[in-house]
Amino acid sequence: MARESNQLERVLDGFKLNWMNLRDASSGKVLWQGDNDLSKPGREHEAEVPKKILKCKAVSREINFSSQEEMEKFRLEQRVIFKGKCLEEWFFEFGFVIPNSTNTWQSVIEAAPASQMMPASVLSGNVVIETKFYDDEILVSTSRVRVYYI
Amino acid sequence: REVSVGPEYGELKLLRKLKSDSQKELRILLLGLDNAGKTTILKKLASEDINHITPTQGFNIKSVHTQGFKLNVWDIGGQRRIRPYWRNYFENTDILIYVVDSTDRKRFDETGNELQELIDEEKLCGVPLLVFANKQDLMTAAKASEIAEGLQLQEMKGRTWQIQACSALTGEGVQDGMEWVMKTVSKTKKK
Repeated sequence: MARESNQLERVLDGFKLNWMNLRDASSGKVLWQGDNDLSKPGREHEAEVPKKILKCKAVSREINFSSQEEMEKFRLEQRVIFKGKCLEEWFFEFGFVIPNSTNTWQSVIEAAPASQMMPASVLSGNVVIETKFYDDEILVSTSRVRVYYI
Repeated sequence: REVSVGPEYGELKLLRKLKSDSQKELRILLLGLDNAGKTTILKKLASEDINHITPTQGFNIKSVHTQGFKLNVWDIGGQRRIRPYWRNYFENTDILIYVVDSTDRKRFDETGNELQELIDEEKLCGVPLLVFANKQDLMTAAKASEIAEGLQLQEMKGRTWQIQACSALTGEGVQDGMEWVMKTVSKTKKK
């Protein structure tokens, strides 16, 4: 038992969210990148994104993370939340994570999600991108980014 | 010659074509030695900046959703330390893309051996194979035909395969390779 909790501690200590960005997926251009302590627990991060992103036909979200420990059943749940309501969600199974690795996951969504139907003024400050990382059922890390359209 | 591979000619357009044929998720695995150009190919497909690419120390995954269809491309690092972990990513692969640096003659044997191991792998049995003979923009690049011979592709049994000369730097040939991938996938998924 003691050994198991040790292992869990090592996984959590060895995990780091390095950066996240948002792109116009049609041009590949980065519209926002955040790279300070994204995985600091309990902290909400703020992204100031040009409001033209709402007109993009396709948007990509990319997240980069490192893990010192090997993981077997790594997965994430990403939700775009507007005033407590989930507009969009992605579940993704990575499976195996290589020890001492740095990895990226990029999701591209093409069809206009509900968020693109609403004006920037309504959305700004009310949209949160929440990404939760799990090893099987164990929560490894959470990142919350509040989006401001400027 | 500069070739545009923006999304109108890139992954999204290809996916739109494929969509009518299949509703399943598609898993593409991108392997090859370190410095072969796997990540550059992945980025070039999405018109992203390719100037600051560093050796992949794990994986890069690109997930594309379009009108209910899902494509996942897995680019796994090719360094010697990482290769033993490749096997963790074989399961459910629909297409294997193997990238070769056509100028790296002193490692042709090494890349051939790695490919042979993949071909012999039970979990990748029958999975269609696309070989990208990359870096064709460089003077010293071996021709795709020469690489095909070196890799003994002709002798491969029970597998659809294709070799495509390309330059991830200029984009030339990348699109043709992906067209083959999509065509091959729609054929096999219909069965």
